[in-house]
Amino acid sequence: MLPNVTNISKIRLTHARFFIFKTMHALARKHARCQVKNNARISQKTRTDDEFRTLELVKERFKRTPRREREKREVPQRRHGQNIDQDWGSIWPVARTFHPATVPLPIRQGYPATSQPIPDKYGNAELMKIPNFLHLTPPVIERQCLALKKFCTPWPAGLETREKQIINFPLTLSTSSYLHSSPSIRDPRARVVTMKVPVDALNLDKHALNKLLRLVVDRYDPKTGLLTLVADRCPLSNQNQEYLQYLLTVLVNESKKSGPFSHEENDLFENRVFSWSKVQTDTTQRRLNEVRGEAMSSEFVQEYEKVVTEIHNSGEDDYTISQYRDAVLKLYGL
Amino acid sequence: KCLCLTTVRSLKPRTRINMSAAVNVRLSNLLQSCLIDQIKWQSIRGIQTTAAVNKSRSGRYKVTRDRSRPLTYEMANQPCQIGHRKSWNSWNTTSLLDGQREPETSIDDMFIRKFVTGTWHGLFVSEIIIKRQHNMIRVAGVVQRKVLPRKMFFLIGYTEELLSYWLKCPVRLELQTVEDSKDVVYKYI
Repeated sequence: MLPNVTNISKIRLTHARFFIFKTMHALARKHARCQVKNNARISQKTRTDDEFRTLELVKERFKRTPRREREKREVPQRRHGQNIDQDWGSIWPVARTFHPATVPLPIRQGYPATSQPIPDKYGNAELMKIPNFLHLTPPVIERQCLALKKFCTPWPAGLETREKQIINFPLTLSTSSYLHSSPSIRDPRARVVTMKVPVDALNLDKHALNKLLRLVVDRYDPKTGLLTLVADRCPLSNQNQEYLQYLLTVLVNESKKSGPFSHEENDLFENRVFSWSKVQTDTTQRRLNEVRGEAMSSEFVQEYEKVVTEIHNSGEDDYTISQYRDAVLKLYGL
Repeated sequence: KCLCLTTVRSLKPRTRINMSAAVNVRLSNLLQSCLIDQIKWQSIRGIQTTAAVNKSRSGRYKVTRDRSRPLTYEMANQPCQIGHRKSWNSWNTTSLLDGQREPETSIDDMFIRKFVTGTWHGLFVSEIIIKRQHNMIRVAGVVQRKVLPRKMFFLIGYTEELLSYWLKCPVRLELQTVEDSKDVVYKYI
């Protein structure tokens, strides 16, 4: 509107008047009365028409355009294009969280709210939480077994029954390995190795067997006749295995050794069996005679012998004790 | 006297009681005697004479007047329903006998949940489910379709990659998408 006054000297006198007029006019225009309201504008819209242009006294309020609704994307569901005779194994090859649009089954899960149906499979977190075995359908299992079959060898010929296996392979070494759902595969229990041998398979004579049993104590189970050795002293399981083999060798060799004291007459202690003939002394005979006051009849004494042997060898229980009672009563003549 | 006190306190000033005249007189006498007592009692602190209820308040949402609060199935079932109507969100072998790495796994789970919720900001509509199988971690959940599929693919790849580097395990994201958060509402409370 107003020209920029850079150099006053440049303004010529002839232009000054015009200059002043211009400023006054501009000021007048700015005056409120003279001001044409911004609202009342000649409508631009009907410019193109030949019709009479309308004067809008009140400008249309700025209308908010309605929020553009998010276009609902049509998401295709895989289950729609599946045939009845399709190969499910290629659609669901591995263990996978349940996906409702892929699984063609109409499954529902959950406790229904009042007057509501059971929640369906869409948006159902409960169905996603539980483990599913959709990757292990019978046809898939069959296929996997067939694939593994070529790596299998037949079962050895002479080892059909368990008895045959024990006869041919009496010694067993067992280890366990452990899996965890963690990034580490280590488990301290995996180094433990157990060895089981039936003691009869070791081919020991009576003395050697006795010695072995004394050396081994609790590791021998008399019910099954198995010797059990456990090793966990080394950090690796193969080291423990080797240790056990060494241990068994040493045990057997030691038990076969015998010193000058080993074959003494009084080997009750050695044999761990009570026998009357070895134990009986004169005192017992005399006492028995005193009881009766006369010489004992041999059959009562024999019965007494038998019963006492029984108690010592097989332990005290109702039967043996009652037998003992009967024998004693007979001795006393009651 | 205690009884009087409770009756006086329970009578709110705004409530109107229509009673017969005789009852009114009785009431006024009662009130007089009680008010005197009340003045005496006001200066003394009361002690709880009834047994404490100790109600459980965990995982329970307050009912609104106009039934406007939406609840998902997870929210609607309280923690006491886990194992009955609800299942667990974390599946791993740590809680079995001689299961190892239990505290580390729990902390890892917490981290995964925070990270995933933050990365997929405002997109997860269900709880985050974490399943561990051998070495693998499988993260599952329900997601809204607020973002373009292209962006979702990026987020999946980003999450899997970073988590697998941090946790030193292969991580897989197995998501289900849902149009709107209203699709997972179980009931309104």
